[in-house]
Amino acid sequence: MDPLRAQQLAAELEVDMMADMYNRMTQACHRKCVPPYYKEAELSKGESVCLDRCVAKYLEVHERMGKKLTELSLQDEELLKRMQQGSGTA
Amino acid sequence: MAAAPPPGPQGPAPPLQYSLLLQHLVGERRRPRDWDPSALGGIPSPAKSEEQKAVERAMESCAFKAALACAGGFVLGGAFGVFTAGIDTNAGFDPKDPYRTPTAKEVLKDMGQRGISYAKNFAIVGAMFSCTECMVESYRGKSDWKNSVISGCITGGAIGFRAGLKAGVIGCGGFAAFSAAIDYYLR
Repeated sequence: MDPLRAQQLAAELEVDMMADMYNRMTQACHRKCVPPYYKEAELSKGESVCLDRCVAKYLEVHERMGKKLTELSLQDEELLKRMQQGSGTA
Repeated sequence: MAAAPPPGPQGPAPPLQYSLLLQHLVGERRRPRDWDPSALGGIPSPAKSEEQKAVERAMESCAFKAALACAGGFVLGGAFGVFTAGIDTNAGFDPKDPYRTPTAKEVLKDMGQRGISYAKNFAIVGAMFSCTECMVESYRGKSDWKNSVISGCITGGAIGFRAGLKAGVIGCGGFAAFSAAIDYYLR
């Protein structure tokens, strides 16, 4: 595939991906770190610390999953290429 | 993974190469960008300046909270000491003349001494309790009643431990119960 075309497509997809990731991360970390007992409006120390950790873990998970997915997709492409070559020569 | 996207106006489009796309999205070829949370779906709010963030971080830190508790404990202990000196006085007591009224200077001196000694004790206890509570809360990542109970036990145990192990255990239990009661009342 044309690398320039891939880059353009990735730039378009990245905005969608980042917005989706931000929203999911906000939802997940709010659910995990902020119990629904609203005694005061400010975030307490424990909650702030929990949110920091939650965001760091979420981003690390996102990165690792992305790398793993890239690996798997490379393997798939190799397999497909070999199958096409195999079916071409056969 | 190579999929066949639907044919466009110029005929069938070239197959997508997902590994290349992913490298641009999350891999090595990703270019870092400046993301604005309001553009991603957050509520738009003015960005905080670095000074404001630093000030807020300092005010949330355990050291600041301990210092605040220390100062508050000092003031409270001073007031408490001066007050109890008025009630439970033994200033200017002369064994040869037990009914002699103490002079104003003696009374004031006694009040001052007691005030300072109570103030120091309260300040130390307050700082210890606040510091341990903040550290426990940072470690657990939650804020509920257990933080004050655990830190009450640690503080009471540390104070009582100097007088022996049993006193340490009793101090732990007593202070933890006191903290739990205050927490229950405040929440």
